[in-house]
Amino acid sequence: MIFHSTIVFFFTFAAIKYFNLFNCMKQIISLLVIAFAISSAIAQEDFSKRKMSLPSVDLKTLNGKTFNTQDMDNNEKPIIICFFATWCKPCMTELKAISDVYDDWQDETGVKIYAISIDDSRSSAKVSPLVKGQNWDYEFLLDENSDFKRAMNVNDIPHTFVLNKNKEIVWQHTSYSPGAEQEYINIVRKLIAEPNK
Amino acid sequence: MKKKFILLGLFISCGTLLIAQNNFMKNSRVSGNFQLDAQYYIPDAAMGANTIRDKIRANAFANINYTNGGFSAGLRYEFYQFPLIDFEKIHYIGHGIPHYYIGYNHEYFEVTVGSFYEQFGNGLIYRSYENRNLGYDNATYGIRVKGKPYKGIVITGIWGMQRNLFVKEGQIRGIDGDISFSEMFSKLSDNSVTLGIGGSFLSKFEVDNDPDYNLPENVAAFATRLNFGYKDFNLNAEYAYKFNDPLVKLNDMIYKPGEALVVTASYAMKGLGIYLTGLRTDNMDFRTVRTAEANNNIINYIPTLTREHTYALPAMFPYASQAQGQIGFQAQVNYQIKKRSKIGGKYGTDIMVNYSQIHGIKQNPVEEAVNAGGDMTGTDGYTSPFFGIGKLLFQDFNIEISRKFNSTWKLGLGYVFLLYNQDVIEGHIGQPNVLSHTAIADLTCQINNKHALRLELQHLYSKQNKGIWSSRNWLYGQLEYSISPKWFISVLDRWNYGNIDKTKRIHYYSVSGSFVYGTTKITLSFGKQYEGILCVGGVCRAVPASYGAGLSIVSSF
Repeated sequence: MIFHSTIVFFFTFAAIKYFNLFNCMKQIISLLVIAFAISSAIAQEDFSKRKMSLPSVDLKTLNGKTFNTQDMDNNEKPIIICFFATWCKPCMTELKAISDVYDDWQDETGVKIYAISIDDSRSSAKVSPLVKGQNWDYEFLLDENSDFKRAMNVNDIPHTFVLNKNKEIVWQHTSYSPGAEQEYINIVRKLIAEPNK
Repeated sequence: MKKKFILLGLFISCGTLLIAQNNFMKNSRVSGNFQLDAQYYIPDAAMGANTIRDKIRANAFANINYTNGGFSAGLRYEFYQFPLIDFEKIHYIGHGIPHYYIGYNHEYFEVTVGSFYEQFGNGLIYRSYENRNLGYDNATYGIRVKGKPYKGIVITGIWGMQRNLFVKEGQIRGIDGDISFSEMFSKLSDNSVTLGIGGSFLSKFEVDNDPDYNLPENVAAFATRLNFGYKDFNLNAEYAYKFNDPLVKLNDMIYKPGEALVVTASYAMKGLGIYLTGLRTDNMDFRTVRTAEANNNIINYIPTLTREHTYALPAMFPYASQAQGQIGFQAQVNYQIKKRSKIGGKYGTDIMVNYSQIHGIKQNPVEEAVNAGGDMTGTDGYTSPFFGIGKLLFQDFNIEISRKFNSTWKLGLGYVFLLYNQDVIEGHIGQPNVLSHTAIADLTCQINNKHALRLELQHLYSKQNKGIWSSRNWLYGQLEYSISPKWFISVLDRWNYGNIDKTKRIHYYSVSGSFVYGTTKITLSFGKQYEGILCVGGVCRAVPASYGAGLSIVSSF
């Protein structure tokens, strides 16, 4: 797979370079994206049902280490990903609400939560003291330049994803209202009850 | 003809590859998102909402991304031809496909051609960034290569042009190296030590056509940074230096080099977090075009070291980073009174105290010309001692306490003191500093698993005016009812009851309702908006002053 994408990539890049095509690169890329989209759709009958797996993006842990999103793991148990920022009030309300029930959730389902901060360098250093001060036990990761946010097509935060045991996205939701966390855990329970879904 | 031929070639090759390889297809994914914000404007002279001849305006964009393992390609279509009035104000007008890229991400390297977003360190010398809701997008067009030759080492090179609104301008090239010793040597991380260093260099080019000045055509900047952590303690520092770079509107064409220093220390353990940060910037505006102003052509990012307030009234006085000169610090303590303790209650009580203070830098004028070439025009402008403190620009003390009493009731209380130098921050020349005291109460009643009611009350006390539309005291009330996870209804009123001009004691009321289904959110609203940050149904974004009805659709797939 890597081999083929490498060929495609280098072929494209070589063509662009060789024919000095920087000027019409926009058109080429547009056509390529559309072509890929159409060919994917044709090749796969169950395209609409296909589950998306995680893109590969480098994030930072709270103590500054690089962490690739594909290394998110929970031993074949469901994962919840919450996008948040320290300046986003509903996000903080959501994380706070989940923290009150997180122990129970983990005992019952073994679910693991990755909380992704999109704080930029104005406030990213604040994330660690803030979340530890609140006693929150999630796996925190920093997405300082919103690369993961873009790759996951998140418009506004809070935005929440539920992943199955194969780390495929099976459910997602934007915004937060008090009590919405019940919906998250219900999805997780369903995933555990029907492991092949 | 030649172009068409190449395109055809590309198609056939890619197509063959795709169809021939079922394996390849299996991993291919298409995803994207979409947003539409439309507004119907009603003129209202009493609140300063002007008549808009084409009454319906909208902002819209859609992203499509294709990924296949490490390979990715994508584009964004933007339609801002008849944009919302605040976007029109910043000249964010146009349509087309300004964002497009192809990339490949491998274990040891990463290449992107097209437009991309990247930052070096804290962004002091380079950050390309987007915030769609603010109309801010300074993506770099060109090529980015990342090498990861060894665990813990990342080298990034960028070269290209810069997006400014809907055009491509300037020329920038840069390189950044990042070394994480704690990733390289497991001995360090085994002893709970994190240690990393980094360095970056960026240079811009702009032709000198000036008849009077002898201007540098290539301007370079560099930065170095350090990250050190031991157990619960963390220290992060970055220093940046910019060579002589006269700018027409932002530094009065002076030749003085610029510099910036940011130091952050934090200590965090269960239930307690302490954060302290200091910042000094001096002549650090960095633009691809010398005549740039406002938010245009920005190459770097100077973080603002103040808290970003989420409550509406204190958010009316936000500090804007003064890249040309500022010195200040911010401190914050987060503490949780233990769960199941006498004082803390069953769920614990959270306390946050935050303080920040920012001054201008001291400047001693320099008269003699420094530029030997041409007509001897141009000076260094001023000298500034490193710890020389100038005028007070901003001061913020705030405290927040929140507590959940039982499964039904939750209460948050807050107090904010702000000192706001509108002369410097907003350019209201000669106007006095605004001093304000705000009290906040935020009460949530969780009726049952699905139904919840939230009441927010704020009162701002001040003796000064900020322009004519904000004067003295304000009162704010908001009631939000939600049926989780699909429905939100919100009613709010923001009232400048203390305005010295009685005709401007306006009720900025707003009624809105949202429906959320999975990743799609539809919001309808009606009312008067005072400019600032609006949070409805759990999402926050910046909104301009206006009167009318709004429709917003946000979706991703």
